[in-house]
Amino acid sequence: MIELSGQAPIIKSLKFEGLFFQHEANDPILMNADFDFPTNENVLIQSVQGAGKSTLLQILGGLIVPQSGKYLINDSSIVDMSFEEFLPYRLAIGYTFDYGGLINNRTIYDNLMLPLLYHKMVEVEEASRRVMEVLKYFDLEKFKDERPAHIPGRVRKIACLLRPMMTHPQVLLLDDPSVGLGQETALKFIDLVNKHRIERGLKHVFISSYDEKFMSHISHVTVHLDGGLLYAHPLDGNKAVSL
Amino acid sequence: MNTVWGRIESLGRSITENLEYTYKIFLMIYLSFRAGVLDQTQSFRQILSVLATQIYFTGWQAMPLISILALGTGGILVIQGMSNLTLLGGTEMIGNLIVVVLVREIGPLLTALVVIARSGTAVATEVGNMRANREIEALESMGINPLSFIVFPRIVGGVVSVLCLAFYFMLIAIIGGYLITQFFNNIPFSFYSESILRAFGKEDVAIFLLKNGFSGVIIFVVSCFQGLSVQKSPHEVPQVTTQAVVKSIIYVTVFNLAVTAVVYLNQLKKLGVL
Repeated sequence: MIELSGQAPIIKSLKFEGLFFQHEANDPILMNADFDFPTNENVLIQSVQGAGKSTLLQILGGLIVPQSGKYLINDSSIVDMSFEEFLPYRLAIGYTFDYGGLINNRTIYDNLMLPLLYHKMVEVEEASRRVMEVLKYFDLEKFKDERPAHIPGRVRKIACLLRPMMTHPQVLLLDDPSVGLGQETALKFIDLVNKHRIERGLKHVFISSYDEKFMSHISHVTVHLDGGLLYAHPLDGNKAVSL
Repeated sequence: MNTVWGRIESLGRSITENLEYTYKIFLMIYLSFRAGVLDQTQSFRQILSVLATQIYFTGWQAMPLISILALGTGGILVIQGMSNLTLLGGTEMIGNLIVVVLVREIGPLLTALVVIARSGTAVATEVGNMRANREIEALESMGINPLSFIVFPRIVGGVVSVLCLAFYFMLIAIIGGYLITQFFNNIPFSFYSESILRAFGKEDVAIFLLKNGFSGVIIFVVSCFQGLSVQKSPHEVPQVTTQAVVKSIIYVTVFNLAVTAVVYLNQLKKLGVL
């Protein structure tokens, strides 16, 4: 029996069992990896450049299907699930892209409204209230009716980060979140993530980032991706520097 | 000997590839309709908005071009038809000529070619760019099935647009053709309209719906499929767009030809020739 939070099941564990994934003609990113991801934490995925952190986040988000092995959410293997079967889990997972991903023929406002309205999660008024609240928080109201091609890169990036947060996910996958944001916006974003953790049901945050300054503001544990394997040292990680 | 085997192998490979392509196309139609119709969690309003946009771009915005083409085709056909039928003493056959040529053959084919040139290319480019810009991936990450959000409304909107445009083409070609002919020949309208109405049959309605409906499906499924076949890079977009145009033209023409051949053979059978 799946325990539901709104439309989505409550996610308690994320686990790999013998997971293998390799991009064509490249070294394997995961080589039969067994790993139980830390939960209720901010988890920094660390590796050398090009080792496959973004791919790992995409696998965690169910966007890439591994070639073999099991990816278990709450002990249910999601690898063989159809789009419809995986949908309840997907609605509990928010994935942000390192670049791109905004729908180009929609305004920033419509981009942020889309997941809420498409899944009929809330009434139009509530969806609009949520969107306007974050646009106001980041001082982006003047860009709300612009399409992604007509706005500065910083605004595109923050819109990319905000869209999955509109649905109040339990799992948030952040791929290079601080790149192109600027110090002030990055700190505001960390505040927003913390607010979602306290008030809006956000539980598990996975971050891939090389930005040590950005990560120093977030209490986190570190998971290493090295040679196709995942591991964590109990003492790895840090406590956040107070803002 | 090697050359013969080589040719047979090449032919076999080509047939296999085409069968595989056709299978994938049918699978995409099935999956997109299943996702579009059966998924209860999605907002029908959002899909309707994409569908309305598609009808606006494909149907409404193509009307000026279709008007010019229809006027030209109708005018040429009625002028040529009347002058030649007068020489043969069969002017009352003008209706049959218009129904056979305009409604059954040229109308559906020209409409399909206009839609391929305007909208098939646009859809393949748009969907291809969406792939390259990771918009399709973003939709999936939001739990939005691209088949129901992107493909389904484009196919349905495309079919509705092609049917409406073909009807509009037929109307403008028949009425416009008559008006243009008035500059050269004074044909009474009652004679013209009665001749056309006499020539129309139930079979023409069926052929009209079949040819235009399927042309719409072919154009938009092929264009979406080609667009979605972009892997990562924007440089693939013009290549898939060209393929979408070429494949759409070939499939639409072959389909139209096949329907015409079946109808023609059926007529011969009715007449007792076969």
